[in-house]
Amino acid sequence: MLITELKSRETIESLADGQKVFIINCLGCKEVHFPEKEAVSLQKELAAKGEVTGILTTDYICNPENLELRLSKHKKALEEADVILVFSCGVGVQTVAGYLEEKKVYAACDTYPLPGFQGVTPLEYQCDQCGECYLNLTGGICPITACSKSLVNGPCGGTKNGRCEVDSDMECGWERIYRRLEQLGRLDVLKSPVQVHNFATDDEVS
Amino acid sequence: MENYTKFRLKKVDELTSVLADKDNLFIIACNKCFKEFETVDEPECGEFEKIAGENKKTVVGSARIDFLCNKIQTEKKLKDLIPQDTENIFVISCGLGIQTVADLAEKPVYAASNSLNYRGFHGMALTQKKCDACAQCFLNITGGICPVVDCSKSLVNGQCGGAKDGKCEVDSSKDCAWEKIYRRLEKQGRLEEFLNQPVQLRDYSKVNYKVIHDYVKSVRENRLDGYYGGVHPSERKEFTEHLALKRFPDPKEVVIPLSMHAGAPANPTVQVGDTVKVGQVIGEPAAFISGFVHSSVSGTVTAIENRPHATRGECLSVIIRSDGKNTLHESVQPREDADSLTPDEIVEIIKNAGIVGMGGAGFPTAVKLKPAKPVDTILLNGCECEPLLTADHRVLLEYADDVIFGLRMIIKAVGAKKGVIVIEDNKPDAIALMQEKTAGCSNMEVVAAKTKYPQGAEKMLIKRVTGRQVPRGGLPADVGCVVSNISTTKAIADAIQKGMPLIERVVTVTGERLKNPGNYIVKIGTNTKDLIDYCGGVTGDGEVTVKAGGPMMGFVLSDTNVPIMKGSNGIIVVDTDHTKEQPCIKCGRCMDVCPMELSPLYFAKFADEKNWQGMKEKNVMDCIECRCCEYICSSKIPLVDKIKAGKNEVRGMK
Repeated sequence: MLITELKSRETIESLADGQKVFIINCLGCKEVHFPEKEAVSLQKELAAKGEVTGILTTDYICNPENLELRLSKHKKALEEADVILVFSCGVGVQTVAGYLEEKKVYAACDTYPLPGFQGVTPLEYQCDQCGECYLNLTGGICPITACSKSLVNGPCGGTKNGRCEVDSDMECGWERIYRRLEQLGRLDVLKSPVQVHNFATDDEVS
Repeated sequence: MENYTKFRLKKVDELTSVLADKDNLFIIACNKCFKEFETVDEPECGEFEKIAGENKKTVVGSARIDFLCNKIQTEKKLKDLIPQDTENIFVISCGLGIQTVADLAEKPVYAASNSLNYRGFHGMALTQKKCDACAQCFLNITGGICPVVDCSKSLVNGQCGGAKDGKCEVDSSKDCAWEKIYRRLEKQGRLEEFLNQPVQLRDYSKVNYKVIHDYVKSVRENRLDGYYGGVHPSERKEFTEHLALKRFPDPKEVVIPLSMHAGAPANPTVQVGDTVKVGQVIGEPAAFISGFVHSSVSGTVTAIENRPHATRGECLSVIIRSDGKNTLHESVQPREDADSLTPDEIVEIIKNAGIVGMGGAGFPTAVKLKPAKPVDTILLNGCECEPLLTADHRVLLEYADDVIFGLRMIIKAVGAKKGVIVIEDNKPDAIALMQEKTAGCSNMEVVAAKTKYPQGAEKMLIKRVTGRQVPRGGLPADVGCVVSNISTTKAIADAIQKGMPLIERVVTVTGERLKNPGNYIVKIGTNTKDLIDYCGGVTGDGEVTVKAGGPMMGFVLSDTNVPIMKGSNGIIVVDTDHTKEQPCIKCGRCMDVCPMELSPLYFAKFADEKNWQGMKEKNVMDCIECRCCEYICSSKIPLVDKIKAGKNEVRGMK
């Protein structure tokens, strides 16, 4: 799951500076996050300067077929524009750039990762897709993501009052794991052989 | 579409050793997301059962669940699912699903699978890694080709020099990203610009997981606030929310449909040639669920015939030519004795005034105010959660006293303890005004609800305000509530205070393609086209869509030659969206937003297969047609049409 944040006002203004601009807003992931208010007010300012040839506010521009269909209704405004300014995640910008190869297509946003794969509600859990799930040894609490150091064989010893020494706002993942195992009567699991985190299992799906 | 996998079963050796000291297994497998939605059956569950069998383990049961990581729904599905004699639970899922079950189940939970890495996935880019979410997009200097993802070395300042014949030295099956970038920039005449660009630094600290974590926490709270699901479509209320009500000039002719309510159409009580006055009955209820219809002008009945209707195609209508005098009918008399009216008298006045739910559904208000069960709370629905519409907002601001009077009458009619006026927090002026006006009323309160569509839907509103859950197929009265719309409540005040039946209403006429948006007091029977023309008509280029109602639940008007009715809260003129239905990619968004907690993706699949039994089993009849699923659908599938078709078939099954 990805979310976006507007690039700085100066950056966006410099991208548009003195040129005719066509703007594309992608609201597909708006339920997760889209800086709509800031984007719209910035665009109004650009439009007031008389440099905007058109604005298309739509969704899922990462879907090439529907993007093409929707852009085809704005041919004239697109032709007039020197620059296409895209307010979307990096996937959307690349889809537009791939479709309008001759045009300068600019990203007005930076893209951030979010935990969770499905739907629009970010999840409270993280999975780093390490490819060798350790949850069997930890009572179902992930040591890769719940421990700042991603330790897989127990706590580092740096915990203070149950808090992580790297980030004191965070509970020590291994203390949580200990409590969970205790609750399940499975503390014996901690006696399992030393685990080696094999980074080579971090397979990509292609 | 290629199939897409997020996890695979752990190797047999590892599973054998995990299974060694465990028995009486319950297996939960996640039906994968982001994949071709053809095969519901996942092979992993069967494979794991086989391995368990080979290890002579007892499998006490298994379940295949969609979107295991959806904690709220998974919690409900797991309830009563896991048999008593289960000792260990094995989950086949990505790490998210396993952690979810581990948190919910009170028994030891084990992972039978490993997650696979696919950081690039997003939206439709299922099988391609396209964006690494680096938090400092470089696409502006590279012609829209990502150097972080496309270059094996993620170089951001140019090529490494190791490319051979345009191929990457790390992976010779890949084109050198920087050669692609060079060619793209050359085509756009931007090589000079690129060479003059300062050196780029990739700042890895831009992806601050702590900030992201805090963000996730706050978004989760917001999403789950009040009730499950819902969406936040662009409100676009600024077109009209600050415009005072104006009276639309009296039409020369009105076309008053005899069906503007749920239930049976009214029977006409006038004949062609009759002279009628304002407020005179022209149609009477034909059944228990039906309603009175009144003339909105004084003049002559010129025809009683079928005319186009916004939601029903055609409908028997009374056509009246106005004499321009607006002479009141003798029956229009104020009730001076409002405070001494008995509950039955109030309901009778409401019935005779032809008042029906003005939010769109048109259920006769008099029937609603005679609930079969005791009611303690009246909810005044001032959410107006539909984007664009501001009619109720303006009524709240300009007729605050009438609304409060109407609420007082409803409380009395039903014998409720209190009335709650619920207003979304995007209308702070209305909230402040109603708080001020109700300050002296001990049995009324104002609740400011965080804006979320479809908060105005009865069931969501009740859940949000009282925490009560209307049972499946039930009515608000089942949980002691009656919900009334703002305009309806104002109409009740008019009926009692002025003796005026429901002959006019406030209509928002708006949209980005309408020249002069506004809110108008419009007589029932006014032609929609006249209203649009009066507002300056359509502006701008490209196709427009006209809808009766809001953008979410409104009806598309292919012909605007239809009358304004009791339920017409808005006429919107908006850009037509051009999309083509794509195959479902099982992204799960529809399930995340469905306020009734249904699985709309199955409705699309089953409707295409004409599997009506399947639709029934997935509780299609619970759907409130709020269109959240269709709005959020990443494949732009017309889900509500499919759901309506399914509901029709299921109704026919009985």
